Amino acid sequence: MVDIVFVEPSGNRVAVNINEGWSLMQGATTGGVDGILGECGGSCACATCHCYVDEDRLGELPAAGESELDMLDNVAAERRPNSRLACQIKATAALAGLVVTLPDTQE
Amino acid sequence: MFSFDPYAPSVDADPFPYYKILRDEHPCFWSKQAQMWVLSRYADIVTAGQDWQTYSSASGNLMTELPNRAGATLGTTDPPRHDRLRGLVQHAFMKRNLEALSGPIREIAAGVAETLRDKRQFDFIDDFSSIFTVRVLFAALGLPMGDEAMVREKAVLMVQSDPVTRAKGPQHLEAYNWMQDYAAGVIAERRANPKDDLISHFSAADIDGDKLDEREVLLTTTTLIMAGIESLGGFMTMMGLNLADHQDARQAVVDHPALVPDAIEESLRFNTSAQRFRRRLQKDVELHGQTMKAGDFVCLAYGAGNRDERQYPNPDSYDIARKPRGHLGFGGGVHACLGTAIARLSAKIAFEEFHKVVPVYRRVAEHLAWMPSSTFRSPLRLDLAVH
Repeated sequence: MVDIVFVEPSGNRVAVNINEGWSLMQGATTGGVDGILGECGGSCACATCHCYVDEDRLGELPAAGESELDMLDNVAAERRPNSRLACQIKATAALAGLVVTLPDTQE
Repeated sequence: MFSFDPYAPSVDADPFPYYKILRDEHPCFWSKQAQMWVLSRYADIVTAGQDWQTYSSASGNLMTELPNRAGATLGTTDPPRHDRLRGLVQHAFMKRNLEALSGPIREIAAGVAETLRDKRQFDFIDDFSSIFTVRVLFAALGLPMGDEAMVREKAVLMVQSDPVTRAKGPQHLEAYNWMQDYAAGVIAERRANPKDDLISHFSAADIDGDKLDEREVLLTTTTLIMAGIESLGGFMTMMGLNLADHQDARQAVVDHPALVPDAIEESLRFNTSAQRFRRRLQKDVELHGQTMKAGDFVCLAYGAGNRDERQYPNPDSYDIARKPRGHLGFGGGVHACLGTAIARLSAKIAFEEFHKVVPVYRRVAEHLAWMPSSTFRSPLRLDLAVH
């Protein structure tokens, strides 16, 4: 299990214990975190699990693939250099304590 | 001794008591009848869905696979080929790109609903959901009108399986072949007269300069037609059944149409039509004291995961206020349903328009005849009485 800290649009911080191998989107939605939808179920097809990853740790994540970069063009909130789709990031022990901030809007 | 046979008519009719035993006593169960493992707990299904490297789809995803289909469709390929194939079609299915369809979908829904006015009793499937879904699909894919009834009949047949032989029967294979011929005709027509639509783009597409092979174009188109008609129709029928059986929920949704999306999500969790899909292991996996071997097939019982009390408290209660996030009604992970946005949009509009004409309805028959299918679950007929 990996602890990930989500910052909801209200500023509320929620620590979620996510099964290793699950995506951060799956962990956040089943964990009841606000500010993330994941409408497509994790197939990188809707851009509603947009998040901003802690910039200092961005380099620890596997880089976004082609389909994620393509889908990031479709996010509703501002796209920033640290924008990622939470369905494409798998929880691994190395990411323990990662802070992930959710945007004001997903659609 | 407990057994779980996804071909048994008793499982078609009511899989949920079996699922509970599976989850509680046999969370990693070898089904002798299906010749595959069955995973039934929410967390195990999510884990498998996320791990496509271990749980491969390339040997087919339907519980009873159709011949020559594995490896040629979105649901039956693994990344990276899958991602490239999906990249070609998924933009057409994104929510924002479907907005233009909402007017035509509403017109179709209102028109079909209107035919029910003043009827005292009707079959929700024959008289509403199947006519609606086939017309929506034809509008979405720009298919020529005229063959709707036949296309619908074949789409429904091809997903079925024979409960005795535990395989596809001749009538199911005939329907599958018919659908491939139909799709081939549409593809040939679009190549001769390209339009700005999904099938035209898809049938002309290259992947990294490597043209899609003919089997991919044909079987992906065939699958889109099958899913668009059978899966959406089956889901809408299950939702109609839920609202007919839960009068408080029906009344709430009729009084406040803004609650329709909540009823859709709860229906996707409670008893969606896509009950079970399969994967094939690429390596040995130890789970709940069992060793599943590389090469074994594994059933992901989405319908069981959606009723897992470890994830959803009081899971056998249909509660439209539940807002069941993360449900498995569309599967999950890289192979989650391509059509989530069009399915949600279509079902929402359909029930809004249906309720304007038929606000009060009840189920007529206590026992329903269920479709024989190891993968999908919906009734063959759903008579509703209006009172």
